[in-house]
Amino acid sequence: MIMRMAFRNIFRQKRRTLLTVLSMFGGMVMAVVFIGWADGSYNNIIDNFTRYNFGHIQIHKEDYLDRPSLYKTIDDYSSIEKILRNNPHIDSWAPRLYSVGLVSVREKSSGARIIGIDTEKENQTTAFNKKITAGKGFSDESAYEVIIGKGLAKILGAGVDDSIVIVSQAADGSIANDRYTIVGIVDTGNEIADRSSFYLPLESAQELLVLYGRVHEVAITAKNLHNVLPVTNQLQDSLADSKLTVASWQEFASSFYMAMKADMEGLWISIFIIVLIVSVGVFNTVLMSVLERVREYGVLKAVGTKPGQIIKLVLAEVNIMAFFSILLGIIVGYIFNYLLSTHGITLAEGFSYGGMEFKVMKAEINARSFYIPALTVLLSSFIIGLFPSLKAAHTDPAKSMRFH
Amino acid sequence: MKRALITMSYFIFLCFSLMLATGEPDETQAQRIVKKIDELYRSTSSKALMEMEIITPHWQRTLEIRAWSEGMEKTFMRILEPKKERGMATLRIGNEMWNYLPKTNKVIKIPPSMMMGSWMGSDFTNDDLVKEFTFFNDYDFEMTTVNQAQTGALYVKCIPKENVPVVWGYVLLAVRADDYLPLWEKFYDEEGELVREMLFKEIKRFGQRAIPSVMELIPRQKQGQKTIIRYLEAQFDIALSQDIFSLRNLRAE
Amino acid sequence: MWLYIKLAWRNIFRNKRRTVIASTAIGIALACLLFFDSFIIGLEHNMIASATSSFLGHAQIHRQEFRHTQEPAYTINNPDQIMQSLKQETIVEAYTPRTLSIGMITSAANLNSVLIVGVDPQAEKAVSKVDDAVRKGDFFKGQKPQDIVIGSELAEILEVSLGERVVLTLAQAESGDLSQDMFRVSGIYHFGVREMDSGMVFIHIKKAQDMLNISGQVHEIAIKFKSLQYASDDNLAFWSKYSHNGNEALSWGELLPDLKGVFEMTGVFRSVMSLLLMFVVIFGIVNTLFMSLYERMFELGVLRAVGTRPWGVMKLMICESGALAVLSIAVGLFLGLIITGLFTITGIDYRGIEFAGSVIQEVVFPVMKPFQFIIYPIGLLLFMVLVGLYPAVVAARMSIADAIRKSL
Repeated sequence: MIMRMAFRNIFRQKRRTLLTVLSMFGGMVMAVVFIGWADGSYNNIIDNFTRYNFGHIQIHKEDYLDRPSLYKTIDDYSSIEKILRNNPHIDSWAPRLYSVGLVSVREKSSGARIIGIDTEKENQTTAFNKKITAGKGFSDESAYEVIIGKGLAKILGAGVDDSIVIVSQAADGSIANDRYTIVGIVDTGNEIADRSSFYLPLESAQELLVLYGRVHEVAITAKNLHNVLPVTNQLQDSLADSKLTVASWQEFASSFYMAMKADMEGLWISIFIIVLIVSVGVFNTVLMSVLERVREYGVLKAVGTKPGQIIKLVLAEVNIMAFFSILLGIIVGYIFNYLLSTHGITLAEGFSYGGMEFKVMKAEINARSFYIPALTVLLSSFIIGLFPSLKAAHTDPAKSMRFH
Repeated sequence: MKRALITMSYFIFLCFSLMLATGEPDETQAQRIVKKIDELYRSTSSKALMEMEIITPHWQRTLEIRAWSEGMEKTFMRILEPKKERGMATLRIGNEMWNYLPKTNKVIKIPPSMMMGSWMGSDFTNDDLVKEFTFFNDYDFEMTTVNQAQTGALYVKCIPKENVPVVWGYVLLAVRADDYLPLWEKFYDEEGELVREMLFKEIKRFGQRAIPSVMELIPRQKQGQKTIIRYLEAQFDIALSQDIFSLRNLRAE
Repeated sequence: MWLYIKLAWRNIFRNKRRTVIASTAIGIALACLLFFDSFIIGLEHNMIASATSSFLGHAQIHRQEFRHTQEPAYTINNPDQIMQSLKQETIVEAYTPRTLSIGMITSAANLNSVLIVGVDPQAEKAVSKVDDAVRKGDFFKGQKPQDIVIGSELAEILEVSLGERVVLTLAQAESGDLSQDMFRVSGIYHFGVREMDSGMVFIHIKKAQDMLNISGQVHEIAIKFKSLQYASDDNLAFWSKYSHNGNEALSWGELLPDLKGVFEMTGVFRSVMSLLLMFVVIFGIVNTLFMSLYERMFELGVLRAVGTRPWGVMKLMICESGALAVLSIAVGLFLGLIITGLFTITGIDYRGIEFAGSVIQEVVFPVMKPFQFIIYPIGLLLFMVLVGLYPAVVAARMSIADAIRKSL
């Protein structure tokens, strides 16, 4: 009965209803879009930065990350590949071999970090080929070719087609040395790394260092940033018996993580303020609507309606409007966010972070961009509807009817 | 009166000989010992054939090396065996060092940043080969004893002087009492922990000199690791052509 | 005109309840925006401060070729002249000279590659926070040339503690000759950033200059301005003044382009927030004005009937919007000032994030700027009047008969 009355009341006062619903709806959409967009942009940055630099997850032998050693190798790469292939959340992975050595071009020499990469996998996982600024990628996996970082090229005064010699120590104790041709120069955006990076095709590196079939690291990217932690745990379980450690980017890129965390905190405050603003907007309209009808409620009381029923009536009306606005808000918000997630807003002037260019800020569709606004609208309208109606319900009808 | 004078001179004589017996003489002995150690493997020039066996927890190798030296300034080493490293050479003149790699036909100058790195994977650093390492100038010494002292051995404690670029807290030397030939050297950090130990064995005669022909360097803080140098042949104070200590010589052979 | 304004003002107070509610709502929204803006600025300051005050400085001067080649021979041209000039600069609070070189550090137990920074302790303290980060020992209190301050990670790798010996090896400028010297650990710092704690060591600048054979010369002069905004101002004469004669003067933004990027992103957020505020205002104002319009339909009809022209009604409505705006602004400014002002004193506590060790201000202080209190209110006023145009137009175009009939 009350519901029927509530519905009728709502449609009776079209203008008032419209305005109230509009403010709830508007607030909903604004909040949904803002949160979706803010979350999307942040996660976009985190995703791009980790994905294209070191991957989301890395596997090493034991404590290789803290105390690297030539001998801490992952020996059974193929069985790991099987596990990775079977995990649906994993996008791609790339194996790497590391060591240090002395490189020399003509009379200049410098210390370098040797990185053996599987070209195809590396391109897939970290878009390595896109970072090559001069020359080209490796022609095959065992070629006597190297790609050096742009900083190293400068220090050695070397360019594409130059011959470069490296000396290092192989895993069997012999002195590893060989001559290669520089086929490409790479700019990973990390200036410090580029001053010493010396990339070899994986098989060539394994041959140089006498570490056939072994690697030091497997870098993995997940399909979605949100899957990183669950996948890390899954991998840890699958590899529990081996002496391998699986670490997510939060662990191996901890300074980046800290910086991002600080930013996220700022984001929370922004969301809080958005929520506040939206509630205030809703308060405004609902309060006015309810207060306007205090006289009406007085009349109702006078004809015998019980206080409890009045409260229920008011709340019913407010809630119906709220539900309706929320629903509509979700639909429209979803559409907006969907558009924003695929096209995004192009900034007039992109900015760069960690060597990546960000020109488009995209939104993302996630749970909290919907439930936070929904909850806000619901709660605010409920609360603000409650007080005056309580008052009306318990005030003397005569007084209510005189209310203006 | 005469009696008093005699007693007096006796007394003075006693003091005098006591002085001689305690203070100065011991120090001189320590200095003598250290001097001998410093000059043991040095000479105006030398030529030697040696074997370097490197043992690590992951692999074991033995290199055969021919080495020339002139004074403290110049050193030239050529690897003869194993086949993979045959022809590799290292030239050191003063503070500079070059490596030659026959496989790539390349002479690389070692940058100072790599000087502390190990020479060819052994426990000796490039720096060890380069530094004008003198116990004599860089340390202060005193005679000492150790637990489980051997009979016929003398022990010297060497404490590095304040401004010398040396990382050790102190070094203990053990030598043979009769000819001062070294038995071992132990290197301690400043907290008194033994970090490195060098053993000297198998005294052999090379020409006019008798020297320990085997030196074993054992890093105490790494498990299963050591480097052993064996002198197979050695000639001292011979005439050497200056051409040996040249970049061109690196490529020869 | 004045009549309309007086009328408008009286009109909005006729329905006190509605006016109060509307102006409070809009006022709160304005206060939120003011607070948010100040907060974001405070956050940005925090970010920059954390990144620059620990070691980098607001700006740095180098020889042009130095940054890319890192060759010790590329020292700053005319350093003494520059430092004299810096002393006179009103915007510069402090500056400190440094030498930078890569070398090896060895201890009895281990060795590591390090960045050797030669510092002038007194000057350094005024610009960076290394001295604050020292956990054991001190930052060159003793003035001994062999003092060296190393990071906590490095101390672990080298297995050394205070007072113990280490040897630094580096290459001299120009000749590349080896230079080696013994130092004693006089301080151990902890920044919480692995690369710094394991890779940077500090020695007396004079000692570094001797080792590098570059007496009197330096590689870098780090500068702290009196206020952070100078560092963010790309148009400052400072940059070109010190970027000549083979040297270059760079701001933190150019030294840390990544940070600058994040900085710009937060700028975008600010704009979005303001936009959001505007939308709230739309719904607040339009709502109120329409309601007032419909309630007074009859009245407005009468007004028209007695000869007020449509334009007159519109003027009235616009003035009402304006009046409401002014009231809202008053409320907003009042609230905003109080809340933001309060936080400016107490600050907002972050849940203890460790970044660059002792340096991060875990408390963010919102920064109030005059423009916030001028631009935003004016913008709001204009906007509200604009939005109020819609009901105004509706009111003006209604036919008199309709108006009188529509009364409740």
